[in-house]
Amino acid sequence: MSNINALIVDDSSVMRKIVERALRQAGLSLDKVYEASSGAEALEVLKSEQVQLVLSDINMPMMDGLEFLRQMRAQELAPDVPVVMITTEGSEEHVKAAIAAGAQGYIRKPFTPEQVKDRVLPLLDLA
Amino acid sequence: MSTPARELLQEGAHAQDLDSAVEEVFRLMMGAACTAADARLSDDKETITAVIGLAGAMSGACTLRCGLDTALRMAECMVGTSPAELDDMVKDAIGEVCNMIAGAWKGKHPVLASGCMLSTPAVVTGTNYRLHMQQPEFRIDRSYKFEDHAVHISIVCESIQ
Repeated sequence: MSNINALIVDDSSVMRKIVERALRQAGLSLDKVYEASSGAEALEVLKSEQVQLVLSDINMPMMDGLEFLRQMRAQELAPDVPVVMITTEGSEEHVKAAIAAGAQGYIRKPFTPEQVKDRVLPLLDLA
Repeated sequence: MSTPARELLQEGAHAQDLDSAVEEVFRLMMGAACTAADARLSDDKETITAVIGLAGAMSGACTLRCGLDTALRMAECMVGTSPAELDDMVKDAIGEVCNMIAGAWKGKHPVLASGCMLSTPAVVTGTNYRLHMQQPEFRIDRSYKFEDHAVHISIVCESIQ
Protein backbone atom coordinates (compact mmCIF):
# COMPACT_ATOMS: atom_id res chain seq x y z
CA MET A 1 0.00 0.00 0.00
CA SER A 2 1.27 3.48 -0.81
CA ASN A 3 1.55 6.25 1.73
CA ILE A 4 -1.65 7.19 3.47
CA ASN A 5 -3.14 10.39 4.81
CA ALA A 6 -4.41 10.27 8.37
CA LEU A 7 -6.62 12.56 10.42
CA ILE A 8 -5.92 12.71 14.16
CA VAL A 9 -8.62 14.32 16.31
CA ASP A 10 -7.79 15.22 19.90
CA ASP A 11 -8.09 18.42 21.92
CA SER A 12 -4.58 17.74 23.26
CA SER A 13 -1.77 18.67 20.87
CA VAL A 14 0.55 16.44 22.89
CA MET A 15 -1.69 13.43 22.34
CA ARG A 16 -1.92 14.20 18.63
CA LYS A 17 1.88 14.09 18.45
CA ILE A 18 2.01 10.84 20.43
CA VAL A 19 -0.59 9.19 18.22
CA GLU A 20 1.26 10.26 15.08
CA ARG A 21 4.51 8.89 16.50
CA ALA A 22 2.78 5.61 17.38
CA LEU A 23 1.45 5.29 13.81
CA ARG A 24 4.95 5.75 12.42
CA GLN A 25 6.35 3.27 14.96
CA ALA A 26 3.66 0.84 13.81
CA GLY A 27 5.26 0.97 10.39
CA LEU A 28 2.69 3.11 8.62
CA SER A 29 4.05 5.28 5.82
CA LEU A 30 2.25 8.55 6.39
CA ASP A 31 2.08 11.09 3.63
CA LYS A 32 0.00 13.82 5.24
CA VAL A 33 -1.19 13.96 8.82
CA TYR A 34 -4.09 16.32 9.40
CA GLU A 35 -4.86 17.42 12.94
CA ALA A 36 -8.10 18.65 14.48
CA SER A 37 -8.73 19.71 18.07
CA SER A 38 -12.49 19.10 18.03
CA GLY A 39 -15.12 17.12 16.22
CA ALA A 40 -16.36 20.21 14.39
CA GLU A 41 -12.86 20.99 13.12
CA ALA A 42 -12.44 17.38 12.02
CA LEU A 43 -15.63 17.49 9.96
CA GLU A 44 -14.30 20.55 8.14
CA VAL A 45 -11.05 18.71 7.36
CA LEU A 46 -12.97 15.76 5.92
CA LYS A 47 -14.96 18.07 3.64
CA SER A 48 -11.81 19.24 1.89
CA GLU A 49 -9.14 16.57 2.32
CA GLN A 50 -8.78 12.91 1.36
CA VAL A 51 -7.75 10.64 4.22
CA GLN A 52 -7.51 6.86 4.54
CA LEU A 53 -7.58 6.66 8.34
CA VAL A 54 -9.19 8.62 11.19
CA LEU A 55 -8.18 8.36 14.85
CA SER A 56 -10.29 10.28 17.33
CA ASP A 57 -10.44 10.98 21.03
CA ILE A 58 -13.90 10.89 22.65
CA ASN A 59 -13.77 13.46 25.47
CA MET A 60 -13.40 16.80 23.72
CA PRO A 61 -15.07 20.18 24.26
CA MET A 62 -17.60 21.58 21.78
CA MET A 63 -18.23 18.36 19.87
CA ASP A 64 -17.07 15.05 21.35
CA GLY A 65 -15.67 12.14 19.37
CA LEU A 66 -18.87 10.10 19.31
CA GLU A 67 -20.91 13.01 17.96
CA PHE A 68 -18.17 13.70 15.41
CA LEU A 69 -18.35 10.09 14.30
CA ARG A 70 -22.16 10.12 14.04
CA GLN A 71 -22.09 13.30 11.97
CA MET A 72 -19.26 12.01 9.81
CA ARG A 73 -21.28 8.89 9.00
CA ALA A 74 -24.57 10.82 8.61
CA GLN A 75 -22.98 13.27 6.19
CA GLU A 76 -21.23 10.41 4.39
CA LEU A 77 -17.86 12.07 4.74
CA ALA A 78 -15.13 9.54 3.94
CA PRO A 79 -17.73 6.72 4.20
CA ASP A 80 -15.30 3.86 3.63
CA VAL A 81 -12.53 5.21 5.85
CA PRO A 82 -11.91 3.30 9.09
CA VAL A 83 -12.23 5.25 12.33
CA VAL A 84 -10.43 4.21 15.50
CA MET A 85 -11.35 5.80 18.82
CA ILE A 86 -8.44 6.49 21.20
CA THR A 87 -9.70 7.43 24.64
CA THR A 88 -9.36 7.11 28.40
CA GLU A 89 -12.94 5.80 28.48
CA GLY A 90 -12.40 2.06 28.21
CA SER A 91 -15.58 0.49 29.54
CA GLU A 92 -17.58 -2.03 27.55
CA GLU A 93 -20.44 0.49 27.31
CA HIS A 94 -18.14 3.09 25.75
CA VAL A 95 -16.80 0.55 23.26
CA LYS A 96 -20.34 -0.46 22.30
CA ALA A 97 -21.34 3.19 21.87
CA ALA A 98 -18.33 3.81 19.63
CA ILE A 99 -19.04 0.76 17.50
CA ALA A 100 -22.71 1.75 17.24
CA ALA A 101 -21.65 5.22 16.08
CA GLY A 102 -19.56 3.68 13.33
CA ALA A 103 -16.07 3.09 14.75
CA GLN A 104 -14.07 0.11 13.52
CA GLY A 105 -11.53 0.07 16.34
CA TYR A 106 -10.99 1.18 19.92
CA ILE A 107 -7.75 1.88 21.80
CA ARG A 108 -7.66 2.81 25.47
CA LYS A 109 -5.22 5.43 26.75
CA PRO A 110 -2.54 4.84 27.90
CA PHE A 111 -1.49 2.69 24.98
CA THR A 112 1.61 1.15 23.46
CA PRO A 113 2.72 1.48 19.82
CA GLU A 114 2.12 -2.28 19.56
CA GLN A 115 -1.53 -1.82 20.48
CA VAL A 116 -1.86 0.86 17.80
CA LYS A 117 -0.23 -1.48 15.30
CA ASP A 118 -2.50 -4.39 16.24
CA ARG A 119 -5.69 -2.33 15.98
CA VAL A 120 -4.91 -0.13 12.99
CA LEU A 121 -2.98 -2.21 10.46
CA PRO A 122 -5.70 -4.86 9.98
CA LEU A 123 -8.17 -2.09 9.14
CA LEU A 124 -5.88 -0.99 6.31
CA ASP A 125 -5.24 -4.56 5.17
CA LEU A 126 -1.64 -4.21 6.33
CA ALA A 127 -1.56 -6.81 9.09
CA MET B 1 -28.96 0.66 51.35
CA SER B 2 -25.53 0.86 49.79
CA THR B 3 -25.18 1.08 46.04
CA PRO B 4 -22.57 -0.84 44.04
CA ALA B 5 -20.22 2.13 43.58
CA ARG B 6 -20.10 2.82 47.31
CA GLU B 7 -19.57 -0.84 48.13
CA LEU B 8 -16.76 -1.11 45.61
CA LEU B 9 -14.90 1.84 47.03
CA GLN B 10 -15.26 0.59 50.57
CA GLU B 11 -13.31 -2.52 49.77
CA GLY B 12 -10.09 -0.63 50.41
CA ALA B 13 -8.26 -1.44 47.23
CA HIS B 14 -8.61 1.99 45.64
CA ALA B 15 -5.25 3.38 46.83
CA GLN B 16 -3.45 0.39 45.36
CA ASP B 17 -5.49 0.86 42.21
CA LEU B 18 -4.24 4.44 42.02
CA ASP B 19 -0.64 3.24 42.39
CA SER B 20 -1.24 0.76 39.61
CA ALA B 21 -2.83 3.39 37.36
CA VAL B 22 0.05 5.81 37.93
CA GLU B 23 2.65 3.13 37.21
CA GLU B 24 0.85 2.14 34.01
CA VAL B 25 0.52 5.68 32.65
CA PHE B 26 4.14 6.65 33.32
CA ARG B 27 5.47 3.38 31.91
CA LEU B 28 3.41 3.38 28.73
CA MET B 29 3.35 7.08 27.90
CA MET B 30 6.77 8.17 29.20
CA GLY B 31 8.78 4.98 29.32
CA ALA B 32 9.55 5.82 32.94
CA ALA B 33 9.00 4.35 36.36
CA CYS B 34 6.83 6.15 38.89
CA THR B 35 6.51 4.48 42.25
CA ALA B 36 4.87 5.34 45.55
CA ALA B 37 7.32 7.12 47.85
CA ASP B 38 7.45 9.58 50.70
CA ALA B 39 8.17 12.55 48.44
CA ARG B 40 7.29 16.12 49.37
CA LEU B 41 6.75 19.22 47.26
CA SER B 42 8.09 22.57 48.36
CA ASP B 43 5.33 25.11 49.04
CA ASP B 44 7.45 28.10 48.12
CA LYS B 45 8.35 26.95 44.61
CA GLU B 46 6.06 27.18 41.62
CA THR B 47 3.82 24.14 41.38
CA ILE B 48 1.55 22.94 38.60
CA THR B 49 -1.73 21.20 39.34
CA ALA B 50 -3.82 19.42 36.75
CA VAL B 51 -7.45 18.78 37.67
CA ILE B 52 -9.87 16.31 36.11
CA GLY B 53 -13.46 16.46 37.31
CA LEU B 54 -15.39 13.26 37.98
CA ALA B 55 -19.18 13.15 37.63
CA GLY B 56 -21.91 10.54 37.62
CA ALA B 57 -21.63 7.48 39.86
CA MET B 58 -18.97 9.41 41.75
CA SER B 59 -18.54 13.18 41.94
CA GLY B 60 -15.16 14.66 42.72
CA ALA B 61 -11.81 15.26 41.15
CA CYS B 62 -8.44 13.75 40.39
CA THR B 63 -5.52 16.13 40.83
CA LEU B 64 -1.87 15.81 39.90
CA ARG B 65 0.54 18.28 41.54
CA CYS B 66 4.23 18.65 40.78
CA GLY B 67 7.00 21.21 40.54
CA LEU B 68 8.02 23.10 37.44
CA ASP B 69 11.09 20.96 36.73
CA THR B 70 8.98 17.82 37.05
CA ALA B 71 6.35 19.13 34.64
CA LEU B 72 9.03 20.03 32.09
CA ARG B 73 10.60 16.58 32.38
CA MET B 74 7.26 14.78 32.05
CA ALA B 75 6.44 16.77 28.91
CA GLU B 76 9.90 16.00 27.50
CA CYS B 77 9.38 12.28 28.08
CA MET B 78 6.02 12.39 26.33
CA VAL B 79 6.85 14.40 23.21
CA GLY B 80 10.60 13.80 22.88
CA THR B 81 11.66 17.45 22.87
CA SER B 82 12.84 19.49 25.81
CA PRO B 83 10.61 22.46 26.66
CA ALA B 84 12.39 25.52 28.08
CA GLU B 85 9.48 26.93 30.01
CA LEU B 86 5.98 26.26 31.26
CA ASP B 87 4.27 26.77 27.93
CA ASP B 88 0.92 25.49 26.63
CA MET B 89 2.48 22.22 25.52
CA VAL B 90 3.70 21.45 29.05
CA LYS B 91 0.31 22.29 30.58
CA ASP B 92 -1.36 20.15 27.93
CA ALA B 93 0.97 17.23 28.73
CA ILE B 94 0.34 17.44 32.49
CA GLY B 95 -3.40 17.63 31.91
CA GLU B 96 -3.31 14.55 29.72
CA VAL B 97 -1.28 12.59 32.27
CA CYS B 98 -3.86 13.43 34.93
CA ASN B 99 -6.66 12.51 32.51
CA MET B 100 -5.13 9.11 31.78
CA ILE B 101 -4.50 8.40 35.48
CA ALA B 102 -8.10 9.27 36.35
CA GLY B 103 -9.34 7.09 33.49
CA ALA B 104 -7.09 4.18 34.39
CA TRP B 105 -8.08 4.42 38.07
CA LYS B 106 -11.82 4.48 37.47
CA GLY B 107 -11.42 1.78 34.84
CA LYS B 108 -10.36 -0.62 37.59
CA HIS B 109 -13.81 -0.32 39.19
CA PRO B 110 -16.51 -1.77 36.90
CA VAL B 111 -19.25 0.51 38.20
CA LEU B 112 -17.14 3.64 37.85
CA ALA B 113 -15.72 2.61 34.48
CA SER B 114 -19.09 3.02 32.80
CA GLY B 115 -20.93 5.21 35.30
CA CYS B 116 -18.39 7.93 36.01
CA MET B 117 -17.48 10.54 33.42
CA LEU B 118 -14.31 12.60 33.18
CA SER B 119 -14.07 16.29 32.41
CA THR B 120 -11.46 17.80 30.14
CA PRO B 121 -8.37 18.89 32.11
CA ALA B 122 -7.83 22.22 33.84
CA VAL B 123 -4.34 23.31 34.89
CA VAL B 124 -3.50 25.66 37.78
CA THR B 125 -0.06 27.18 38.32
CA GLY B 126 1.34 29.27 41.16
CA THR B 127 2.98 29.03 44.55
CA ASN B 128 1.81 28.13 48.02
CA TYR B 129 -1.81 27.32 47.20
CA ARG B 130 -4.22 24.60 48.23
CA LEU B 131 -7.17 23.05 46.43
CA HIS B 132 -10.16 22.59 48.70
CA MET B 133 -13.38 20.61 48.40
CA GLN B 134 -16.21 20.85 50.88
CA GLN B 135 -16.75 17.79 53.05
CA PRO B 136 -15.26 15.10 50.85
CA GLU B 137 -16.71 11.66 51.42
CA PHE B 138 -13.24 10.21 51.08
CA ARG B 139 -9.93 11.12 49.56
CA ILE B 140 -6.82 9.29 48.47
CA ASP B 141 -3.55 11.21 48.71
CA ARG B 142 -0.48 9.52 47.34
CA SER B 143 3.07 10.71 46.71
CA TYR B 144 5.28 9.25 44.02
CA LYS B 145 8.84 9.42 42.82
CA PHE B 146 9.44 9.91 39.10
CA GLU B 147 13.21 9.87 38.47
CA ASP B 148 14.34 12.39 41.12
CA HIS B 149 11.06 14.27 41.05
CA ALA B 150 8.13 14.28 43.46
CA VAL B 151 4.59 13.94 42.11
CA HIS B 152 1.50 14.16 44.31
CA ILE B 153 -1.78 12.68 43.14
CA SER B 154 -5.15 12.87 44.88
CA ILE B 155 -8.59 11.46 44.26
CA VAL B 156 -11.20 13.47 46.13
CA CYS B 157 -14.75 12.14 46.30
CA GLU B 158 -17.48 14.65 47.13
CA SER B 159 -20.33 12.18 46.78
CA ILE B 160 -20.88 8.68 45.60
CA GLN B 161 -24.07 6.90 44.60
